[in-house]
Amino acid sequence: MRVRDVWFGYERQPVLRGIGFEVAPGSFTALVGPNGAGKSTLLRILLGLLTPERGQVEVFGAAAGDRRRPIGYVAQRVRLPAGFPISVAEVALLGRYGRLAPPRRPRAADRARAAAALERVGMREHAARRFSALSVGQQQRVLIARSLAGDPDLLLLDEPTAGLDPAARARFFTLVCDLQRDQGLTVLCASHDLEVVSAHADRLVLLNRELRAEGPPQEVLGSRALADAYAFPEPHDHGTDRHS
Amino acid sequence: MSDFLDYGFAQRAVLTGVLIGLSCAVLAFFVVLRRMAFIGVGISHAAVGGVALGVVLGVPPVVSAAMFSVAVAWVIGWIAQRGRISEDTAIGVFFPTAMALGIALISLSPTYRQDLMGYLFGNILSVRPSDVWILAGLCAASLGVLSWFFKEFLYLGVDEEAARAAGVPADPLRYLLLTVLAVTIVASMKLVGAVLVSAFLVIPAATGQAIAGSTRTMLGVAIASALAAVGGGLWLSWLWDLPSGASIVLVSAALFFAALGAARVLGR
Repeated sequence: MRVRDVWFGYERQPVLRGIGFEVAPGSFTALVGPNGAGKSTLLRILLGLLTPERGQVEVFGAAAGDRRRPIGYVAQRVRLPAGFPISVAEVALLGRYGRLAPPRRPRAADRARAAAALERVGMREHAARRFSALSVGQQQRVLIARSLAGDPDLLLLDEPTAGLDPAARARFFTLVCDLQRDQGLTVLCASHDLEVVSAHADRLVLLNRELRAEGPPQEVLGSRALADAYAFPEPHDHGTDRHS
Repeated sequence: MSDFLDYGFAQRAVLTGVLIGLSCAVLAFFVVLRRMAFIGVGISHAAVGGVALGVVLGVPPVVSAAMFSVAVAWVIGWIAQRGRISEDTAIGVFFPTAMALGIALISLSPTYRQDLMGYLFGNILSVRPSDVWILAGLCAASLGVLSWFFKEFLYLGVDEEAARAAGVPADPLRYLLLTVLAVTIVASMKLVGAVLVSAFLVIPAATGQAIAGSTRTMLGVAIASALAAVGGGLWLSWLWDLPSGASIVLVSAALFFAALGAARVLGR
């Protein structure tokens, strides 16, 4: 995946300014930065849902939005009407729909593929349950299964662990790493959860409307750019305050 | 019941009622999923403006109502898509405006007021033989579109952004669904009435949602309850001389509360 000098703005407000980086096939890259850094906007550009004002984006050698090679996408949450009775199996099956032109209906092979994807994320035993009855962490696993059902080569995740407790976050990223390793998936994950994502990603891309740093996690975490991007305050000496 | 079906008007009402019940139930599934109930209310009231326009311009009211409702639905959809005004605000502007236009125009034609009551509240006597074919065509078209794009509408309703990312053409399908909604509302006006049709576009699906464990069961229950409401409502309408729209919606609501009770007993 290549992103070259990408510019984008909403109503003349610049959100991305001259962003450029590359993602190697089969790698796990985390897109980090504070709220409003433009991470989700960049993911939407990569999906072909937004068109950059300037610059180029290539995904598997084709322009963004070319869907000859499917991309799996998982966002923060799916917000269904309260109590809507879609089952876990039906949600996983949605991942096949991009491959079936209307009016084709999913067949046994599609259902088997969705069931296998649920098995892969450890949710097959919940297939008959209502999706809305699951915990947030379980729902996110089902959404990963939905993506896997479409046989993607690339998985884009947009703040997938927001609202999860630390243990569920760690379990989620362990699953993503397993998929990356076992299936050769390329993963790009936008997150502001620096600690957990750094423990799992091969590379970090630090964004705050501009590209601030990129490289292995330890390198980016130790850089001055990180403190600048997140505007961390200087360490505060409480003892000095008390006695002054 | 067999006495009731001896009458030609009753046969026509039942036939069109079955078609309308099927269309409304399948559409209600998406109205509930995509939270479009308020748009349904807006379009159904705008349809009254369309009927009045037809009366004044000398155009068949069903045709003018269909064109006017589709236009209003598209304008609401377009304004909501631009994001400057929220969808419910746009509906709140167009719904009373179109209704007021209808009332103002119809007041210029005092002899038409009785017929307008039929469009507002439904009248089983109002379905003429020629209407059956028009309504059957409209309902068949609505059902055909919903069936053809069923899985795409489902994906968009569950997770629009993921569906867009998978290549589902969200914007054209949104306008198509608004068009189907407007056409189904107009087709339902003679039997259920403009004031009450929006309820019939929610209650069957809500009944299915109350007791179903999957979307397939929800859809099945929605269709069964809509058909039961049409049959029971028309019979009560004939028995007690009630407006057909009111009796159909009351039976539909009774089925909904029965489903809620059943869900409680079944522990769903």
